[in-house]
Amino acid sequence: MGSILSTFGSLVVGGIVATATIVGVVSSQTSPSGDSPANVNQPVIEYGTSD
Amino acid sequence: MKRWHGWVTPTWSLLLAVLLLGPALGSGYLLTYDMVWVPDLAMRPDFWGLGSGLPRAVPSDAVVAVVDEVVPGWLLQKAVLLASLVVGGLGAARWLPPESLSGRLVAVSIYQWNPLVTERLAIGHWPVLVGYAVLPWLALAARRWRRDGGGLPLLLVLVPLGSLSVSAGLATALTLLAFGWRGRSRGDAALGGLLVAGNAPWLVTGLLHTGDATTDRAGAALFALSGSGALPAPLAALGLGGSWNAEVVLPSREGPLSWVALGLVTAAVWGGWRAWSASADRRDLVAFGLCWTFGLGAALLTWAAPDLVAWAGATLPGAGVLRDGARSLVLCAPLLAVLAGHGAAEAVRRLPGDGAPRLVAAGVLVVLPVTVLPDAAWGLGGRLRPADFPADYVAAQESVATAVADGQKGDVLLLPLASYRQPEWNHHRKVLDPLGRFLSPDFVASDELVVSGVAVAGEDPRVARVAAGLALPDAAARARALAAEGIGLVVVDETAPGSSPLPAGRTLLDAGELRVLALDGVRERRIPTGWYAAAVLAWAAYGGALAGGLVSAGLARRRRRAAPASRGTGL
Repeated sequence: MGSILSTFGSLVVGGIVATATIVGVVSSQTSPSGDSPANVNQPVIEYGTSD
Repeated sequence: MKRWHGWVTPTWSLLLAVLLLGPALGSGYLLTYDMVWVPDLAMRPDFWGLGSGLPRAVPSDAVVAVVDEVVPGWLLQKAVLLASLVVGGLGAARWLPPESLSGRLVAVSIYQWNPLVTERLAIGHWPVLVGYAVLPWLALAARRWRRDGGGLPLLLVLVPLGSLSVSAGLATALTLLAFGWRGRSRGDAALGGLLVAGNAPWLVTGLLHTGDATTDRAGAALFALSGSGALPAPLAALGLGGSWNAEVVLPSREGPLSWVALGLVTAAVWGGWRAWSASADRRDLVAFGLCWTFGLGAALLTWAAPDLVAWAGATLPGAGVLRDGARSLVLCAPLLAVLAGHGAAEAVRRLPGDGAPRLVAAGVLVVLPVTVLPDAAWGLGGRLRPADFPADYVAAQESVATAVADGQKGDVLLLPLASYRQPEWNHHRKVLDPLGRFLSPDFVASDELVVSGVAVAGEDPRVARVAAGLALPDAAARARALAAEGIGLVVVDETAPGSSPLPAGRTLLDAGELRVLALDGVRERRIPTGWYAAAVLAWAAYGGALAGGLVSAGLARRRRRAAPASRGTGL
């Protein structure tokens, strides 16, 4: 009984992690990437943005 | 151990690397922030460290310029990026016993798929990534050296390879000393000699620029370790995050997933410590601990005491290398991956039975680093897209080459005088102006960095003098000032923002996007003979170590292969 439960539990946890991973990867590919867009009017291209 | 186990770890490592790089492995050149690769990087005095500014890209540029004579630039770039990930991951896995497959796979996942890798990849610090890949192997080789004096050929290769930039060289040096120091004068002297040889190009040529090796105070606060989203900087650093540049931080690091990742890392490290510390070699633990403490400490220092870092950078020549706090976290990664691997292996071992529960648990633990950083997939969510250089670049290259062949003297000046570009042909991605490396002569470009509206002054005094010359009121005066600074050719990127006060000169090319001007009366920049002598010695030491290591590693491999055959014939 214990081994059936642990097998079932592990499959549930594994399924959740697998689903979360796939959903996360796929949704990150479909959302726009977050780096700053070009602005031809700015006087200089900045190296980056510091918090 | 089953035979197929040997293939699982390399396969997983390669799969992760391909998933991470994704489109970056496609046709073209990946140009992102400081990462500039061109079809054929021509060797020039600046790459040897003989330029007027600090040798920031020494020896990496020279190494690429030599190797891309054999391997095309585009292929070399992809090989370097892919190998940096795979080699690093497999090196971390080597610290776990072969029978611990789940532990090895987790170590690979942690080492290859973390914020440090994604942020350094996005900002284009590829020499740091090469050094990062070298670290676990270097630790293994240095440990062997410490124990029985073996592994020297591998050390001779790894130290120069891991020292392609100043910061990578420092991490390599610390790791080598931490793991290889024996406390016996002869062996340690050899180690010290190897360190000096492997770092000689930037060390020696950097010493030639000591007078200009201090940095602008403004940079310390801007480049300090930074928090990620709701994670404060110290906690971000524990999970290998904390880049100063918010533009290269993935969105998942700014949300609740970063807290989940931190919790998982903490649990894995705690579990790993309990499982491994009792059986591990004490000396290895001390070495790992030293590297981790120094890496985290250096990173935290930039966050906690930016004024101190600013003072050091502005006062002590070379101290500015410490101002990018998150970069020193490379020293923390090996211990983190090894502990996580041991923690995972122990967790799997403790599960009852040996069937599905263990298999699923192992799979979950191996995949979790991807789960909590999903937007790293496929080229950081599409950020890493290669590009092809436009035809105007080739036209400018030919124009400059023809002018030089016809006797035009002097270096190239890149205008507008600004460090970064964001060209349309590069998918509007920011990149350090790639034009200079695309051309053959030495070039002068802006070394000023603008971050969040604050300008951080560069160190090259020649750039400052060129800027002063460009500020003169008429074109003829500008031309005379530039020629006196050794500028013979001016290449103007018409698409880049910023004004370009042009000097009077002959137009060699007006291709729409790029203009090439030639100046007369050029007074060529003189490089002191002593500088050449110093550079030759430094590069001889570097090349000698690398070549010696490769030859002796090849011979040792040959001997090992021949040994069973000899035994078989009774010889």
